[in-house]
Amino acid sequence: MEVNGQLALTVLMGVFLIAVAAWLARVEDWRSYTPLAGGGTVGGTAEQYVSEEKPSGVIRWLTTVDHKDIGMLYGAYALIAFAVGGLMVVLMRIELADPSMTLISNTFYNSLLTSHGITMLFLFGTPIIAAFSNYFIPLLIGADDMAFPRINAIAFWLLPPAALLIWAGFFPIPDVIPAQTAWTMYTPLSAGVGSGNQVNAGVDLMLLGLHLSGVSATMGAINFIATIFTERDEKVSWANLDIFSWTILTQSGLILFAFPLLGSAIAMLLLDRNFGTMFFSVDGGAILWQHLFWFFGHPEVYILVLPPMGIVSLVLPRFAGRRLFGFKFVVYSTLAIGVLSFGVWAHHMFATGIDPRLRASFMAVSLAIAIPSAVKTFNWITTMWNGKIRLTTPMLFCIGFVSNFIIGGVTGVFLASIPVDLVLHDTYYVVGHFHYIVMGAIAFAGFAGLYYWFPIYTGRMYQVTLGKWHFWLSMVGTNLTFFAMILLGYGGMPRRYATYLPQFATLHQVATVGALILLVGQIIFVWNFAQSWLEGREVEDGDPWDLADDDLTTAEWTWFERKLETAVTDGGEDETELATDGGQAVDDADADSADDA
Amino acid sequence: MDEAPGLSDQYRTASPWPVFIALGIPISELGLLFDLFPLAVGGLLLFGGSVVGILKESGYVTSTIRAVTALAVIFLAFGAWLAFTDIALVTRGYAVIAAAILLAVGGVVFELFVREQRQTF
Repeated sequence: MEVNGQLALTVLMGVFLIAVAAWLARVEDWRSYTPLAGGGTVGGTAEQYVSEEKPSGVIRWLTTVDHKDIGMLYGAYALIAFAVGGLMVVLMRIELADPSMTLISNTFYNSLLTSHGITMLFLFGTPIIAAFSNYFIPLLIGADDMAFPRINAIAFWLLPPAALLIWAGFFPIPDVIPAQTAWTMYTPLSAGVGSGNQVNAGVDLMLLGLHLSGVSATMGAINFIATIFTERDEKVSWANLDIFSWTILTQSGLILFAFPLLGSAIAMLLLDRNFGTMFFSVDGGAILWQHLFWFFGHPEVYILVLPPMGIVSLVLPRFAGRRLFGFKFVVYSTLAIGVLSFGVWAHHMFATGIDPRLRASFMAVSLAIAIPSAVKTFNWITTMWNGKIRLTTPMLFCIGFVSNFIIGGVTGVFLASIPVDLVLHDTYYVVGHFHYIVMGAIAFAGFAGLYYWFPIYTGRMYQVTLGKWHFWLSMVGTNLTFFAMILLGYGGMPRRYATYLPQFATLHQVATVGALILLVGQIIFVWNFAQSWLEGREVEDGDPWDLADDDLTTAEWTWFERKLETAVTDGGEDETELATDGGQAVDDADADSADDA
Repeated sequence: MDEAPGLSDQYRTASPWPVFIALGIPISELGLLFDLFPLAVGGLLLFGGSVVGILKESGYVTSTIRAVTALAVIFLAFGAWLAFTDIALVTRGYAVIAAAILLAVGGVVFELFVREQRQTF
């Protein structure tokens, strides 16, 4: 039986490799791409290069190294992951409408809890940010593309296998069950020690997937650092670098120092689980894991929140009719948060019995991080103060971001205080607090960006009324769900459980209703997004937000305007104008356009 | 971008290799972790071949055979380390060594037959 299995696997692998080789041989012959440094548009073979440039159909998306295409791939991937993670939590919230175990089993609840966290943080959060940064950073800084376009593509393509591995436990694979370690993967549970079922290969697969997503993020970060340092246009100096690029640069720095550590810790855990090492099973091993994990884990919070802050800092002033108030201080705050974020990790471990003097120093730094965060918040508010506010959908999401960030941030300040933390540790208060940040702030900024740049990447406009419905349902849903959780935490409801005492039922039901409202809002979003992309009103003006009226246009809109102009002058067929340089291609192009006419 | 607005849309934009590098890594990891010989060998071949392909394509190496040999030597060393030292992960080590040998053979075959053919175009 085992031999047969090996044989089947060998044959499968062989056939797969031959198929890959055959496909590559075909694709290689199409020879349309040039060496990295080739430039391609100057010189003898230019017209051939251009006219055969992008392959069509699926092949285009599989082989693209264009930063905008990769940005779109990241965006599509992130939104799919958001839907998966969102549906997982809808199931959990419905289960929690009732105190006892009714709809799903407790173990399945644990699996969903684990996957929801990892999906939202690593498969939605990081990629949706990468979607914006890939598409817009090169445009904002006047670069032709990323510094390493192929590395960029590799970084994206590592993500789909990562998602499959992370979700592998849910697929009908014999003997594999989903991980139930929670996203923090605390040892000894995650090391598979004891009589639990966490020895299962599902945990290994999840760890491998997580490791891959970390490799992907690190590759992306190196690329962004190189791009922002070396590929800027002559006109873009450090002094006038835009705020979004600043936040991406800082975020990339954080990724560079945080993610390799996660990778190492996961590798150690995998070795513990499969090869008999004892990194985390000796005395102090459990605390060692927590130190390693949170040394990554807390910077991860800022990895996720800094670029959304950058989006808000970029978008909010456009609809307030003013420049960002205190631009320099917003940049300084970004850098300060970046540095401080590496000095706060042990505030996740106040209740573990670590040395009280260590605890006090971590409390001090954690409280200190409130200062740059507050500087930003006040700058956003001051930007709006006496401004010419236009309540467009992206602006509504920006204002929602600020509002939710204040609640999420202030509850965080309380948690940074040791005595308060010891009372509220491991309760729903913590869940409410960080969901105000990850859903109320990060996802809201993501939506602000998706709506704000919708005309650029689709060439169309979304449906305004549906956008507003989406915002208001999300805003009400978020606050209903997560404020109820904060109250549950005050009441002492412990987090992570599938069942609870009847006294918590009302607030849990409120939270469930909130989650369902969120679901309706997101269904409206999906409908609006898809339908407007296919059938929305086409944008003919390069400045659909009338930013020029207030002299607030940014580089990506200037690029968009030029793109629209070129598209019009050459009759809408991208290649026609460029093909007139040389021989055969002209006739073909002309014939095509004659046919079209 | 400034000289030819809209050109960015048509700028060095395609490469077949990234997908396969990204597939090769998890396949070989799965093979090595769970001791699945065919997956380990196949994944490493896919990864190694694609790395050489992308290096050649982007002009970082000029000779395919030398890049393949370098990778094969690295794999060989890694495989030997797994199989013949105190680590004693014998089957996994052999898988990596097998991948190294196959990669080297593949490189020679490409050098002798395929590359010549290409150049006649």
